[in-house]
Amino acid sequence: MKKALKFVLKLLGKLSLAGLIAFVVTFAIYMTNAENKIIYYVVRPLLNKHYDSQVRDRRI
Amino acid sequence: MKDLKHLIYFENLLQDAQNELVTKAVAEGKHALGYNCYYIPETLLNLPGCFSSRLRAPRCVSTDIASYYMTTRNCPYVRSILERAIEGGYNYLEALFGAESCAAMERMEEHFVLIHPVKNDKFFSTIIDPPMKGDENNLNYYKAQLKLKVVDKLRDELGVDVSEEAMLKAIEDHNEISRLITEMGDLRKLENPPITGYEFHVIQLVSQVCPHYLIKPYLEETLEELKTREPEPKFPFRARVALVGSEIDDPDFTKLIESCGAMVVADRYCFGSFPSREQIEILPGESAFDAICRHYLQWNQCARFMDGDKIDQRHNEVRKLVENFRADGVIYENMKFCEFWSYEKVLANHIFTNELHIPCCTIEKEYALGAAGQLRTRFQAFIESLEIKSIQGGK
Amino acid sequence: MKLTDKLIKAVDKKLERFDPLWQAENGVGGLRSRYYDKTGVAKYREWRGVKDTFYDYTQWLYNLMSMGQMVASAPVKCLRGFWEYRWMGSYLGTFMFIDRLFEGYRGYELRIAHMNMHAIVQSLTKKIALVLANDRRFGGGPLTDRMVPMDEVLPPLFMAGFKDLIPIPLQTLPEFIICDIDQHIEPYYIDVAESYGLPADVCSRCAAETGVTIDDAFPIIGKAFLSTNMPCNASESTSMFQRRRVNLPYQPVTMAMIHNEPGAHPYSTQELKNAIAFIEKEYGVKYDWNALFERAKQMNEQNTIELEKWDFFKTPYSALVGIAETLYRLYSWASVNGQEDYFTKNDRKVIAIMRKAYEEKYKPFSGKTRHRAFLWGPSAVYYTDFPTWIQNCWGINIVLNMDSTMGHNMISTTDPEQAIKDLALFSEKAVMRHHAVGGWDNVNAVWEWARNFNCDMVLCNDNVACKGMNGVHALLEEQARDLGFHFIFIEHDLEDSRTVSRQDMRKCVNNYMSVVLGEQPLDPTIVEFDDSAAY
Repeated sequence: MKKALKFVLKLLGKLSLAGLIAFVVTFAIYMTNAENKIIYYVVRPLLNKHYDSQVRDRRI
Repeated sequence: MKDLKHLIYFENLLQDAQNELVTKAVAEGKHALGYNCYYIPETLLNLPGCFSSRLRAPRCVSTDIASYYMTTRNCPYVRSILERAIEGGYNYLEALFGAESCAAMERMEEHFVLIHPVKNDKFFSTIIDPPMKGDENNLNYYKAQLKLKVVDKLRDELGVDVSEEAMLKAIEDHNEISRLITEMGDLRKLENPPITGYEFHVIQLVSQVCPHYLIKPYLEETLEELKTREPEPKFPFRARVALVGSEIDDPDFTKLIESCGAMVVADRYCFGSFPSREQIEILPGESAFDAICRHYLQWNQCARFMDGDKIDQRHNEVRKLVENFRADGVIYENMKFCEFWSYEKVLANHIFTNELHIPCCTIEKEYALGAAGQLRTRFQAFIESLEIKSIQGGK
Repeated sequence: MKLTDKLIKAVDKKLERFDPLWQAENGVGGLRSRYYDKTGVAKYREWRGVKDTFYDYTQWLYNLMSMGQMVASAPVKCLRGFWEYRWMGSYLGTFMFIDRLFEGYRGYELRIAHMNMHAIVQSLTKKIALVLANDRRFGGGPLTDRMVPMDEVLPPLFMAGFKDLIPIPLQTLPEFIICDIDQHIEPYYIDVAESYGLPADVCSRCAAETGVTIDDAFPIIGKAFLSTNMPCNASESTSMFQRRRVNLPYQPVTMAMIHNEPGAHPYSTQELKNAIAFIEKEYGVKYDWNALFERAKQMNEQNTIELEKWDFFKTPYSALVGIAETLYRLYSWASVNGQEDYFTKNDRKVIAIMRKAYEEKYKPFSGKTRHRAFLWGPSAVYYTDFPTWIQNCWGINIVLNMDSTMGHNMISTTDPEQAIKDLALFSEKAVMRHHAVGGWDNVNAVWEWARNFNCDMVLCNDNVACKGMNGVHALLEEQARDLGFHFIFIEHDLEDSRTVSRQDMRKCVNNYMSVVLGEQPLDPTIVEFDDSAAY
């Protein structure tokens, strides 16, 4: 009984820690606007380069 | 060629919307009925006691007041018409029958009611919602709109006879005028025609802006004259073109093309004879009114039609004109700020150039003939390319 | 007061100097202070106080999850979509888009705004995944032949009678919605169309649509295509190009343009009947009226709630405001049109909050609203956050806009003949054409709407290429003068931010507010700024 309770508490502890880390990481990304900076300065320029090099089937 | 006897007279008739024949008809008690668009059947406005007057704004040099109302970012044709109305140029009208054929046209026609530019106590105006397809539902809607907003209005507001007999008489009048114009126009099919595109444009225009019963004797006489008119010893142009587009009511535009060396052999534009001068036939079991509505929907080749059949029809009709009138190429015109023709000319240019292999030139113009120098350069280049093609045996 | 509330209040007090609204009030910065110049990229997210920042963060997570689900539902095809379609790349700007829409939002208005926004995000991400997963360009999918590509301005509710078919507003993904998110995407397609000879003075929305068509950038789906004449001339013309390029059996559903006349409705009703017959023939399926009735019930409930919302809009205590109202109504009406239960459920929750806020006499934006405005005419798609800016800068609350007044008549849920008539009326009052097309009376209705909603101001979107609205320019101005409304024309070019930039649009308001009304801005950092490089 005591063992099971210990396991549950340990699991809850681990989950809470994981939750806390997830919260800290995502909240940090959110507050620093990191995802938008990466999209704006890195991802979109690369994608645009690709789109500009596409040969499209342009016709009426 | 020897000058046509009535050409100067016709040209003078085109200098004002209210020309001497219009004034005469009004003095004789005829109802002057204005319209702007093929969607309003000219035939219905020529019921006994009435005459049609397709609105133009000749010699319009400024649209300042109309631009105040509609901005400078709108169709110059509609602004010119509104300006002329505000100037008092249409005070002879008893009615304007409008069509929501495009947003700019509809707004302009609304101003005829909202700001009362026409100083005529009897004046009234209606606007139909014209169809966008050629199917049965659209034909029924077209009929209902014309009945409600043209025929019933003529009867109720002006006491016009709208009976079957009256309609038959209007069709007879239409067919007679159309026969005269078509006979003259068909002369352009000849290798060396006894008529120029400019002359025909003038003749076609007077048939649209003058009371039919007053202009008809002059047209008859001109047709007889043309039958015996000696053309130039040698075809005086370097190429033949079909002119396609919207509200081209300035014969000087045709003259400009011809002065660059190409005869305008076919006129498929809003003020042109294609469509407008086809014979109205009454099918078995059809009333005269039904025949008029069917005829106008069937022949209408407006760029606003959306169904596949009508889209294809308007390109096929131009192709037929090119063949029948032996045109070397097509000039597509659109009025500045015209949504429909802006798109149509892109599509048509592709179809004619790449699919039908008929040389095509597209231009954009103002209503009043401005920027003639630029247009001249475009036309000269196009005509030169037609000439080169002809020299190279069509390659 | 509970201990946590006290704690939050203490933290809020401590950190208030980071709140841009506090900064603006105290002359030490404002909403623009946290941005890198021109880009629209914020150095950090807006501090709105503990509760609101945390709420905003959770909603960010929800939206992130929706996007994750989208990719997870069809990973390969979604990635191929990103690779194939230029417009797909623009969807990466969604988070930045949401941030700028709800700048300065707090409390109830922030909650409702996010609820509405999430409804759109979850719907749109599903739709994108669905379309890409069945795009023939990527090998098609099980639903490819059950999809019906339709013009986005044709309200799809009538299609609900085909319960096994999926109507897809064709232009919405590559053109309309994405222009909301990224102001730089449509100019590319406009240039494509213009390179084929299309003049630059036509409506940019339709030019963009044509560019997408020519550039072969529509997903390839379905067995037949329904186009429409709505809302106006240029969109009628674009159909000619789509007919060729989509290259499927094609039926234009042409609704009456002058639609406020008795004769119009029988015609439009028959057009809808013909469209149904066309789909039955092309897809080999039978129309099921009961299936329509089920969805019509949803639409009716949404419209009933909408009408109740209007009652709140008439007061200073509406928690649903500005772009949160506009964008949601536009998407839920024009794109969803009763077909997704999520929106009905969302409406129920939103109206409950609105009732509560009203009872509490809650004033949005901390009661800083100075003017109540009715927004008329089609709005600039590339400046979706304009209502947010105008509230934050000048305290002008846009209480309702023209497009939100779209079809709100009830649809019969028992009688097929009545239902199709109701649908015709409903469809004639579609987006961008209900009031902008069909006669002066429809445009002139603005004053009555403005009066009913207790507005002292009318903002009139002045799309430089809209021939219909240009045609009543002076009449509108004269009416405003005669009826005593503050009236501002806001020039824009609908989807081409190069012609009239966002700053140019702001200038129209700035000039009026400072020169004519002599007022001071609430936040001087956002009066003039360069966001030309922002999405």
